[in-house]
Amino acid sequence: MQIAAVFFDGEFARDRAVTLDDDGSNLVFAGPDVPQTHWSIAGLHPIDPPSPGQPFRLTHDLKPGARLVIRDDAFVHSLVSRNKHLKGGYSWKHLRQVAAWTAGGIAAAIILGYATMAILPQKVAFMLPENWRNRVGGQIVKSLVANAKQCHTVDGDAAKLAMITVLAEGNSDIPPISFEFYDMPLVNAFAAPGGKIIFTRGILEKADRPEEIAGVLAHEIGHVAHRHPEAQLVRMTGLQVLISVVSGSGGGDFTSNVAALAALLRYSREAEREADAYARNTMDMANVDPMGLKTFFEKIMKPGAENKPNDKNASALDRIGNVFSTHPGTEDRIKEIQPLPAGRTPVAVLTPEQWKALKSICG
Amino acid sequence: MTDMPPPHSPPERLNFSYVPRQGLLKLTIVNFLLSVITVGIYRFWAKTNVRKHIWSCVHINGEPIEYTGTGKELFMGALVVFLFLVLPIVLAGAGIGLVYGPQSPLIITYQILFLLLIYVLWGYAVYKARKYQLTRTHWRGIRGNLVGSAMTYSLLYFGSLMAKSMSLGWATPVMNTVLQEQITNDMRFGDAAFKFKGRAGPLYPTYALCWFLTLMALIAVIAAIASAAAGSTAVRDFFGETANPNDIGIYAGYIAIAFAIFLLVSLLVIPMLWSIYVAKELRTFANYSRFDGAPFSLDASAASVIWLVVVNILILIFTLGIGWPYINQRTVKFVVDRLSLDGLIDVDRIAQSQASVDKRGEGLADAFDVGGL
Repeated sequence: MQIAAVFFDGEFARDRAVTLDDDGSNLVFAGPDVPQTHWSIAGLHPIDPPSPGQPFRLTHDLKPGARLVIRDDAFVHSLVSRNKHLKGGYSWKHLRQVAAWTAGGIAAAIILGYATMAILPQKVAFMLPENWRNRVGGQIVKSLVANAKQCHTVDGDAAKLAMITVLAEGNSDIPPISFEFYDMPLVNAFAAPGGKIIFTRGILEKADRPEEIAGVLAHEIGHVAHRHPEAQLVRMTGLQVLISVVSGSGGGDFTSNVAALAALLRYSREAEREADAYARNTMDMANVDPMGLKTFFEKIMKPGAENKPNDKNASALDRIGNVFSTHPGTEDRIKEIQPLPAGRTPVAVLTPEQWKALKSICG
Repeated sequence: MTDMPPPHSPPERLNFSYVPRQGLLKLTIVNFLLSVITVGIYRFWAKTNVRKHIWSCVHINGEPIEYTGTGKELFMGALVVFLFLVLPIVLAGAGIGLVYGPQSPLIITYQILFLLLIYVLWGYAVYKARKYQLTRTHWRGIRGNLVGSAMTYSLLYFGSLMAKSMSLGWATPVMNTVLQEQITNDMRFGDAAFKFKGRAGPLYPTYALCWFLTLMALIAVIAAIASAAAGSTAVRDFFGETANPNDIGIYAGYIAIAFAIFLLVSLLVIPMLWSIYVAKELRTFANYSRFDGAPFSLDASAASVIWLVVVNILILIFTLGIGWPYINQRTVKFVVDRLSLDGLIDVDRIAQSQASVDKRGEGLADAFDVGGL
């Protein structure tokens, strides 16, 4: 069956009339200025799916720029019904391609996400230089305590130093720390990058004996020793990157808001356990009664002991959750604290005078 | 067969028509489902499928145009932009935050620089996207192209953004004319060129009309909101201190009305107002443009553009965005139905051009979500 068709050579816009025949495995066409051409049917590609009222356009592997345009619906129907690959539309090749890219993208996101969240932060935290830790730690402390006053008295400062000295007894590799009280009513303590440990007036008021403060301090020193604040900062940065990348927003406001800072110092359960273990170990070596930490834990867990986030003076600190955050597992953590072995007499962390001085450090 | 020279058809008038074909609904649904399954990665293929469909409905003298781009090209374009632009920017931002601390003023400086970079690159993205689409548009086997510099256009575009914002919009007709001239004069179909020549002056009366109407609409909104607030105060004064639950209802009612007016004006009234200017600009720019010496004309009345825009907005809202292929179709059909080229073109003479063709597509335009098809 010979029909009329039009050929474009892909080099000129001129339309060239041809007569076209289908010999079963080839399309054969020729015209006044088109030499006889054989296009194998296997090598043909449809430009669009065949559609009534629209010309059917074909190209061929041999000449991808050329087009053969057929307007004879009967011819097109017969050609396409015998050769399914000319139907066009969705191709498995494309769908497989998309599926592969999707799978690859998701896998890359998971691997990168795992690396940024779980593996990298702790490693990077130990590579950060000292002056960076101090500068960034200072910034974080400043935005967390807002305008609260730092508490100092001569005797109170001496008592703080005495407490650190007792804890460092028998524990030579205690990291360098700074230990400050701030005049804030809420009950909390936290460690910021650079070994900056912050206690509130509220926590001081809640404590009935120096061992309780010493226990919490040992726990915070644990965070410092494990570089948890730094690791958390790296983790938040990584998370920020992941979020900007996934959401498609560039830049992003990096941890510049209070909510982000609060999340920054909310540690994982593993981190809290590490800090607890460090605290128990330190108190054991320094011969400090660990039951102070235990009673303080229990006090804070009592219903109604929570900080009230709607407090007028509340700051970002409220949102951190307190030292013994209420997430599940806290009771197990308390159970792990055991008294010193029988026969060992705990040292006095502070003399009664020193304790009095510390209690009144914020006036 | 004789060795007679091949028949050469005489120069002809070019007629544009939109001949719909079946399958857009199926495309729309399948595209949406696959995009969901592939967490959005399919959209490059979806865009491509829709373009192929719409392009094939545009007939010039009975011969449909053809879209030869592929989803993979678009995807690769986006991937390259992501890896070599977006990712370094995000990482550098995070690095600055990490090194100098989260409260460092450097972060704000960086964000300003980042915004500036986007504005500088915006025109580049527009130009490259147009170039990609033209090089993937074939008619009678011949492709289009943009043969100028994307950098030049991008600087011009940045300058125009500055001029527009500093003149409260009044530089818009001049700057749009300059930009249109720049890009049209770079446009080719094979070895045949497009030309643009004309002044912005005739656009100004319509621009002024739209500018003042917008101002009045904004004043009306502010007045409505103010009177709603005043009304609620009056209600409170009337009932005095004796708190009545009805007061609150009336107060909330006023706020709801004020908010509804604001939405209506910003989403519908202002786009409708500016459609008057858009129509004028479309007609004017068509008249200023020539292909191979023949002038274009576009019969786009203000009412027709308003109808196009309003229905497009409604489709977008009521299909929750899934109906975007229909918006593209309507827009293309709008132009094709109203466009004519008033002159004879010697089509047979037009040859393929060897001007450079980009391997990948539209990465930046995709990242910025530049408008267009």
